[in-house]
Amino acid sequence: MDLFLQYLANGIVVGSSYVLVAVGLTLIFGILGIVNFARGEFYMLGGFAGIGLATVLGLPLIVSLLGVVAFAALLGFLAEQILNRQVKDKDPTNSIVSSFGLAVVLQNAALLVIGPQPMLLRTDLSMVPVEIGPVYLPLQRALIPVAMIVLVGALHLLLRHTWVGMSLRAMAQQPTVARMCGIRVSRVAIVTFMTGAVFAGVAGFLMSSVFMVHPLIGNMIVLKAFTVVILGGMGSVTGAAAAGLMLGLVESMTSAYLGNGLRDIVGFLMVVIVLLAWPQGIFGRNLERS
Amino acid sequence: MKHLALFAAAIALLALAPMVLGGHGLSVMTLTLTNLVLAVGLNLVAGYCGQFSFAQAAFFGIGAYTTAIMSRDLGTGVWINLPAGIIIAGLFGLVLGVPALRVKGHFLAIVTIAFQTVVYLTLVQWTDFTGGQNGILVPGVGETSILGIIRFNVQSLESYYWLTLALAALAIIVAWRLVHSRLGREWIAVRDDETLAQAVGVNTTTTKLSAFVASAAFAGAAGALNAYTMRTAAPDDFTIFISSIILAIMILGGKGTFLGPIVGAFILTIIPESLGEFSRYKMLFFGVLLILTITFLPGGIMQLVRNARTRRA
Repeated sequence: MDLFLQYLANGIVVGSSYVLVAVGLTLIFGILGIVNFARGEFYMLGGFAGIGLATVLGLPLIVSLLGVVAFAALLGFLAEQILNRQVKDKDPTNSIVSSFGLAVVLQNAALLVIGPQPMLLRTDLSMVPVEIGPVYLPLQRALIPVAMIVLVGALHLLLRHTWVGMSLRAMAQQPTVARMCGIRVSRVAIVTFMTGAVFAGVAGFLMSSVFMVHPLIGNMIVLKAFTVVILGGMGSVTGAAAAGLMLGLVESMTSAYLGNGLRDIVGFLMVVIVLLAWPQGIFGRNLERS
Repeated sequence: MKHLALFAAAIALLALAPMVLGGHGLSVMTLTLTNLVLAVGLNLVAGYCGQFSFAQAAFFGIGAYTTAIMSRDLGTGVWINLPAGIIIAGLFGLVLGVPALRVKGHFLAIVTIAFQTVVYLTLVQWTDFTGGQNGILVPGVGETSILGIIRFNVQSLESYYWLTLALAALAIIVAWRLVHSRLGREWIAVRDDETLAQAVGVNTTTTKLSAFVASAAFAGAAGALNAYTMRTAAPDDFTIFISSIILAIMILGGKGTFLGPIVGAFILTIIPESLGEFSRYKMLFFGVLLILTITFLPGGIMQLVRNARTRRA
């Protein structure tokens, strides 16, 4: 039982990072109808930026975090220029190919500049234990779900109660009418991409203390994010949050009780089953999947 | 008739390549022809039927592992392994096709990437069966014959090149017959307007499934033969990066055109392989090219050709 609770806690930590990556993905899809395959690379670069700032330069964690946020926002801005501005009005598959190309470019640029050596973020916080009953987590890990709740909560408030959030939601519902009402569509697109990139970058930074960061890690991360988004329903932030935690838990339990080799496969099996049984996702509304 | 004559001339010319090319050049040409078969196959499902797939390297791998595992466990030769690779890859094409029928656009891309990843992870992790990360060594084709009549010995680099050339020629002929058949026209109908195709009586389910199976079978053939050429089947030759190279070949050449993937295969295999000391920038080059092509020239090289033709006319 004690072990079970420990697996549960581990699953929540990993699941929280999936939520962070998936929320940005679902946001960009919901608002702009674009799928960005380069998200995993934002995660990877966020992780490397954080390690560079915190471990190499020795900056305090909070300063490093702000640095990662700024860096990820810049990445999001650049990605919007490439993926949205250029190919927006053409065939939707073009943005898939284009973002896939961007992912390949970023991975290989990272391989050339940083090298294939995996890196781990080490901070003083990894030595501080947090014990809740029989569950043990280093403080550094225990902060990940906390950060996730804070960020997703902040996003929720932003979407519900601010002018920016309202224009984002208007865009998601009816782009043409939103444009007629005076919403500057191009600015909304930039804000959306930057927000999405910040979520992925911060996730990468937080998780760099749990899993090694290496230039090709994004492949797996983006697949996890897609798994979460398909399970949760495309465009639904709440769905992404629930499905992200669920995936983290299922993976943790699978690797504990069925074998570590199955860990990365189980999510994809869930995707196939969900697509066959509930094509709109478990939490999704009815919308055509195109 | 003009097409056939040109095609025969091109094949004859390519068959003479070992007379001028050295060992490295010949390996590059063999790789070019392998990529050609893969891209022509991908074009059937992505170009003609409009169903995007990032999983071509997975089927390539399934073909290669069919050869490797059958040679290891059953001791079968190339004339059994090659058809087996085609059939097994085709069956897996059906496995991917069924869930892929439910989804379009982005979701389809995700499902194919997930399939590609599951295949790769299985190859890496099912160590007893697939040899894990190290893969499986494959014996050479060796002495063989066609129906016991024409005997030949496949051992040298040249003979593997000719074998690959024969496969490429066969693939081009089969692809030509397919896209100019009723089935090919149904693929195009589904791509251009699925609802309309359905309304005029096209069974879109079987049409799409047949495109997935055909595309996978081409990749399976390429893989089954490539395992012999490389003398090994190892998981890292079947990653999503290989899928992205095949995709770049098809898009740069021109998706949905017959010549596009063929032209693309020559350009995108020969140029990166001749980069020499810059070859570590190869994948970077593919990525940038993919972005630039899709942004500024979504119809690929064949679009340029077509534009030039209409301007002249």
